[in-house]
This record gives sequence, structure tokens and C-alpha cells, in this order.
Amino acid sequence: MSNQDSQITHTKQLDKGRLGLFFTLPAQTALLFIVVFPLLASLYLSFTTWSPMTGRGTLWYQAYQFWAWFSNYWNIITDSAFLLSLVRTVIIVVVVVPVELLIGLGLAFLFLEKFPLKKLFHSVILMPMMIVPAVAGFIFYMLFQSAGPVNAILSKILFVEITTPWLTGSVTAMICVMLADIWQWTPLMFLILLSGLMALPEDQLNAARILGANWWQRFRMVTLPLLKPVIVIALILRGMEAIKIFDAIWLMTKGGPGTATETISVYLTKELRYLHWSWVATAGVIVVILISFASIHALKPIKEQEEQT
Amino acid sequence: MANILLDNLVKTFGKQTAVKNLCLDIKDGEFVAVLGPSGCGKTTTMNMISGLLQPDSGKIYFDGKEMNNVPVGKRGVGFVFQNYAIFTYMTAFENIAFGLKIKKLSEGDINKRINEVAALLQLEKALHMKASRLSINDMQKVALARSMVTEPKIFLLDEPLSNLDATLRNVMRAELKNIQKELRQTAIYVTHDQIEAMSLADRIAVMNFAVLQQFDTPLKVYNRPKNLFVAGFIGSPTINLLDAVYDSGDFILADFQNKKQVVSEKNRARIHDLLKQEKVVLGVRPEHLKLSDSVEGNGNELTARVVSIEPLGSKTVVYLKSDSDTGNVIKAIMGSDYRPKVDQVKTLNFREKDLYLFDKISTELVFRF
Amino acid sequence: MKSNMIKKILKYVLIIFVAALFFFPIYWMATMAFKPFPEWTAAGEKLYWFPEQPTLDNFREIFVRRTDFKTDISSTATGPIINSLIISSLGTLMAMVLGIMAGYGISRYKAGGQLPFFLLQLRMFPPAAVLIPVMIMWAFLRMVDTWYGLAIIYGVVTLPFSTWLMKTFFDDIPSELDEAAIVDGCSSFGAFLKVVLPLTKGGIASTALFVFILNWSDFLIAFILTDRKWGTIPVYINKLQSATVGQLYGPKAALGLLAAIPPIVFGIMIQKYLVRGLTFGAIKK
Repeated sequence: MSNQDSQITHTKQLDKGRLGLFFTLPAQTALLFIVVFPLLASLYLSFTTWSPMTGRGTLWYQAYQFWAWFSNYWNIITDSAFLLSLVRTVIIVVVVVPVELLIGLGLAFLFLEKFPLKKLFHSVILMPMMIVPAVAGFIFYMLFQSAGPVNAILSKILFVEITTPWLTGSVTAMICVMLADIWQWTPLMFLILLSGLMALPEDQLNAARILGANWWQRFRMVTLPLLKPVIVIALILRGMEAIKIFDAIWLMTKGGPGTATETISVYLTKELRYLHWSWVATAGVIVVILISFASIHALKPIKEQEEQT
Repeated sequence: MANILLDNLVKTFGKQTAVKNLCLDIKDGEFVAVLGPSGCGKTTTMNMISGLLQPDSGKIYFDGKEMNNVPVGKRGVGFVFQNYAIFTYMTAFENIAFGLKIKKLSEGDINKRINEVAALLQLEKALHMKASRLSINDMQKVALARSMVTEPKIFLLDEPLSNLDATLRNVMRAELKNIQKELRQTAIYVTHDQIEAMSLADRIAVMNFAVLQQFDTPLKVYNRPKNLFVAGFIGSPTINLLDAVYDSGDFILADFQNKKQVVSEKNRARIHDLLKQEKVVLGVRPEHLKLSDSVEGNGNELTARVVSIEPLGSKTVVYLKSDSDTGNVIKAIMGSDYRPKVDQVKTLNFREKDLYLFDKISTELVFRF
Repeated sequence: MKSNMIKKILKYVLIIFVAALFFFPIYWMATMAFKPFPEWTAAGEKLYWFPEQPTLDNFREIFVRRTDFKTDISSTATGPIINSLIISSLGTLMAMVLGIMAGYGISRYKAGGQLPFFLLQLRMFPPAAVLIPVMIMWAFLRMVDTWYGLAIIYGVVTLPFSTWLMKTFFDDIPSELDEAAIVDGCSSFGAFLKVVLPLTKGGIASTALFVFILNWSDFLIAFILTDRKWGTIPVYINKLQSATVGQLYGPKAALGLLAAIPPIVFGIMIQKYLVRGLTFGAIKK
């Protein structure tokens, strides 16, 4: 009797295994061809110096003719343009993400209470997120012209004629680029944190109130610990996307003035247009390796949450 | 240690009145149970006393001082929530220490107090566990300890035992009472469980539909319920209520084929004076109702048919139905050996002095025999 | 109590201020779309906060090539708009088909091993870093500047969203329903198709709209993989910038305004699920 039972469960599990495979196979196949295979090709190219220019007349898989071992890697790791673009990317992410978090958190707190036209304001605050990022870049380009509205408003407030050429100064261009990202993505943080705040157990906060805690004490000792999981997820997700920042920068400054706002994506795109394909392949491999390491660490919280359910 | 005076408290939420003109006078050190079904206004009342809610009108006094404008954290109350509301990311120790930290007590003092409380509630082992790992019973104790340790003048407890398993509930009930008496704190205990209220409270405030029905000692609430609601709410199994009509000094029982309940001479005059109209309800508690085997032909005896039996070990609850089709179920409590058969006809016996007389229209208690 | 009122008013003013900040750039684009050429830039004089002579010229410019502006792009905006529509929709279709199936497999059978997390990792790679080989492949297969070439990449790039989102929607439906259908005689696939899928209609619609918004908004990938024939709206807007007559504020604002409509409309429709979508289902309201 028991033998039969175990046979039945065994086939059921087999079935389940096969079925599961059936469902995920299409996606995995697509990824295999469109992600894995190209990554391998990239790896191959990175060991060569092939490009449409140098390799005129040959096809890419004949790039072995231009074998260069690790010279690309060595050159890239010591290339100041590449390294600086990484640094600039990190600077932007490190500034932009916490700012978005803080403003989003503040806004979320404001939205906990009732006030007139709340729904309207809620929709307005969400709008920046819905604007095509390239278009957002263009809008900010218009806004920060030296004769544009930003300078006009600043002039009125400060009673001094302000004509800063925002987009042509290195530091100011950086600021503009950061402002564009903050404008576009703070609403996301706001949304996430608002849902986190609304899910807070009210009883715990009431208990803290009765025990004499004032607003700040409640925030620090009760609210923040409860919000931590949400904040972590928000930071990770936003960080993930911020690394790739490109659209707005390209439309605003194209990485300029000079290379002042050249992030890794901008750098790679420029190199692509110069047809330095194997160079970009190498850079791509390095970036992928770096991010893979970072992602294992960063995605741990999400993994843990999944395994809990 | 404070007395509490609630003066005409009113609280509405939109169109719903949660608390209507509540007046309550609680003595220093008293243990008061606020008893009533869900939605009767008891939690709202608690929230107003603690300061979490502001009453629409009416005043709250602690020891004669008006409390309406005193903020929540400064009223000197301790509150135990129904779901305990333990701070999830702290240890039991940190939870209990919370209020003391806010008050800026020294570390030495904090440790001393917490150790005392932990000893009292037998929490020593769990003190340094994370809140999420505590058992339900320990959580309840931590919730209790957390409010106790700040030595509040007034203790508010919102159904604190409802999530515990039955055995622990009884143990904690006794513990709570002891602690309250020892610390001599004024305590208000919200519950929908009348057994809890009866066993714990010095006085019980019975509420229904936002209105205070009666505020009396357990004995009085049991013996002299102000109206049908209180009579029906207190006592388990619930009191038997029989419709009747007052007819020239006696009562005609509609449920029992219009048999007469004859009133004794000494009570006739009083009843005649007190009754305002003839429709009444006679109440007799199951514990006062005794069953005996029916004797044929005894015309004026009340009889009923056994419908089901509940042997509860220490006693047996018998459910009967009178022969008229009103569907009214009569309950009687007999000894543990009593085993009637279903459909047997039994005679109902009770003493006149166990009867309650209610005015059917006003639902008020008119006379206690 | 007075201090309470003051606090409330201050908070409200703050909210109005922030909302105005968030709205201003959109307002600027919207008004710029209707400004005639002289009002585009102040050129040292006054700045036009509101178009004094609102005109539809900008719209006309992008749809009907006019020679006054001496633009040197040879196409009108109609092409890119249609391109965006077609490519975004097809990319969405592919992401949805693959994602629905994968999401179901992960939800019910925990299949795919590391697939879910690989998908998340995928989102972390800057497209510019990994697109070279795709470019090469596509060039080799003559798929550059085609609708299917870009659509396929869109399908893959948004696959993480469609998979994770659909997984959470499938998780919301108790697996007892599947089992009941199987007991009644359905095959496993039949149970999926006839029982579970109809129940997730709302989730499917919301996910599809969400993915569509992502595809519609993409710039970098389209920039690298398409050009004149199948360039999408963002690519076209970028090109308008390299015109000979300064910056074409008006027409670009007009096109930007039009392009903003689908995401805003769809975004409002799926408001409920925005948080779920953008956090890969990690946070469900």
C-alpha cells in the first residue's frame, strides 16, 4: 500500500516539475537568446580590439583575428574617462536617492491627515513620474536656460538679476541633472512610503502616546523601526534604477559641459557612437561584474521577504 | 490612585452616537468593569478617558481636576490594549522600559522597577526575547508590565484577556485582581464577558447602544437589574423571561396556556401600586428553577417538555419548551446526576421570592418579590 | 487649540508649495506647446508665463512639415507616433505572454530556480553596457531600425516587471481553485487557462498598461537600435533638437505634451497598482 502511495506522489512531483518548466520555458528561452548569449558574445569581443572600423571587411565572430587578451581590461581600468564616469554615477546616486527618500517621507507624513482637495493634490504629485523621462529632460533644459523661468523666478525672489547659465557650468549642470531626477522620482518614494505609513499599526503608536512619547520620540522609537523594511526596499529599487540614469541627461546636457555630467550610461553611449565596440564590450563586462556583486548584496532583503511567504 | 468623574460625556462619529450622556462616578482604588455587547460604546469611553479621543461634549475629572485639555501622555493613565500593541522591534525588556525612558528615569531605577514587575508577573525568562518571538501569554504580560511599571494613577484595560486560552485566562483574572488590590490603583476594565465582570469588579457599568444601563455592584446587578437588558445580559445561562398579563392581582402566563401565577397576599398591594400597565414580563433565573416529575391532573402547575440536555460536569443545564407554540426556551440548572430524557414533561418549581417583575413596555424592573 | 490651527494651515501651505513645484515643469511644457515662435525665448526681454497669442502652429509643425522653420529632418511626427504605438504594444504583448506564463510557473510551482532573481538583476544592468552584442546580433540579422527588432528587446527588458507583477496576482488567487479544477477533470494547463487566468483579468490589464508605459517612455534602447525608419517619439524629440534654427521649443513641447497623454491616462487608471508594479510586488497596498 505505502509503495503505491509513494509512487503516486513521486509522479505527481515529477509532473509538477515538468509543468513548472513548461510555464517558465518561454521566458527562459527568450532570456537565453537575448541576454545570456549576447553577454557571452560581449565577453568574446572584450578580448579583442575589433570594431566596425578596425575590422572593416570582417564579421564580428571573426574578431579573434584581433585578439588582444586582457589589454582592453587593463586599459579601461586605468582610463580616467571611464573611471570618472563611474564616480559621477555614484555621486549622483548617493545624492539623489536619499533626497528623494526624505522629501517623499515628509510628503507622505503630510498626506496622512485629511485636508481639502486631497485627491487632487495626490494626482498632481504623481504626475512627474508619468512624464516620459526624455521629455522631462527637455523640459528642464527649457527651464534652466539663462533667460528661462528658473532664473526669472529666482530674480523675483532674491531681488537680484540672476542670469546663471545653468547648463554650461560643470557644477551647476550636475545640480540641474540631479534636480531633474529628484523631480521625476520623488513621487515614487512618496507613494511607497505613504503605503508603508498607512499600514503602520495604529495601536502601537497610541500605546506610545499614552506612555508619554512626543512626536519625535514616537517617530524615532516606533515608526522608523516599523518603516525600515519599506525604506530599504524603496532605497534598493530606486538605487537600482538611478545607476542607469541617462534619458534626461542626454536631452539636457549630452554629458556636458565637456564631461561634467557624463555618467556611465552616457559614457558608454558616446563610445558606442564612436564605434569603439570592443572597448564598450569590455566596459560592459566590467560593469556587469560589478553590478552582479552589488546586486547579490542589495537583493538580499527582497529575497528574504519572498522566502518568508 | 485617583477617583474619576465622567460628566455627561457625548461622542458621535458622523451620524452614529457612540456614547450618549455618560455619567460615571468611580471611587479611588475601585475596580470597575465596563460591560456590554460589541458596539455599545465601551471602547470609545476608554479612549476618551485616556485622551486618545476628545469628547464632543461633557467633562472628565481625575481627583477633581478637569482633564479634557490635558494631552494624552500627561494624564497619568496606563492602558492595556486588546491586541497588546507590543512594539515589534524591541525586546520585552525594552518594551517595558519604554515609558520609564520617556520619563527619564535613571538606568538603575529602570532596572529595579522592571525586575520587580517581571518577578510579579513571572516574566524573568522572557525579558530579553524579541517581541515577535514571545508567546501570546507572555505578550499579554509584557503589555501589562509596560503600563504597570510607570505607576499610573489609573489603569485602563481593554478586554486584555480575550486573546488568551481559557486556562490562562482564569489564572490571569485572579492575578489581575490581586495586583490591582495590592497597588490600590483605580482600574477600568472593558469586557463583553459578564463572568469576567462579575468575578473581577467592585462595581459594574453595564452599557448598551451608547447608553449606561446600570452602575452597581455585581450582586445588585444580578439581584436588581434595572431593566430587561441588564437582567438578560448578566447570568449564564441567561434568565428565563416569561410574558404575562396582570389580571386582578395575579399574572396570566401566555406561554403556559394561560395558567395563573398567583401572587402572595403580602405583595399584592405593592404590585398594584407600582404597576403602570398590565403587560409584564416575569423573570426567573435558571439556577432558581427546579424540575420535578409531572403529576397528572395537577391543573395549576407549570409544565414543559425537555428539548435538550447539557451535562457540564458540575451541573446539568436542561432546556425545555412549554407546550404553547411561542418557541420560548426555558432553561433550568439541576445537579450533575440529573439525566432526564428528551420529550419528558417536567414540572417547573420556583419560589415566589426568586421572581423578577418587569414592565413589558418600559422594560424596567418594577418589583423584586 | 490655536497652535493646532496654525500648524494645520502651515502644513497645507507646504503641500500647495510642493504641488506647485511638481506641477510647474508640466505647466511650462503645456503652455510652451501653444506659444508662437516669438514667445519661445525671452531673448533678454519678458518671459511669457502664459501664451499671449495661443496658437496651434507647433502642432501643425510637427504633423505637417512647414518650410518656415527650416528644420532639417525629413519626417513629420506622425511616423514616430505610430512607431511608438506599434512597438510599445508589441513589446508589451511579448512581455505579457512570457511573463504571465513564467509568473504562473513561479507562483504555483516555484519553477525557474533563480529565474525571478535573475530577472531582478537584469534590471540593474545599464542597457548601454549590454546592448552592444544585441546591436551586433541585430545588425547581423538585419534587425536594426525595425519594429520587430526593438519590440523584442522591449519584451525582454520589461519581462522582470511582467513576471513579478503577474506572480503576485497569481499568488492572490488560492491554489485550491486550481486543484479543484484539476479534480474536476481539467489538465493543469486547462486549469490555468480556464480557471485562474480569467480571475486575474484585472491584474493582467493593469500589468499590461504598466509595461506599456515603460516601453512608451524608453529612450536609450530605441536610440541605439532605431533611427530614421522606426524611431520612436523620444528618439524623434531628441533629433528635433539638432535643428539649424536654435532649439525648437514649441514643436518639441507640443509633441512632448501629446506623448505625455498615454502614460498619464494609463497611470491614473492603474493608480491602485502603481506601488505594486514599481516595487516588483514587494509592497502591496
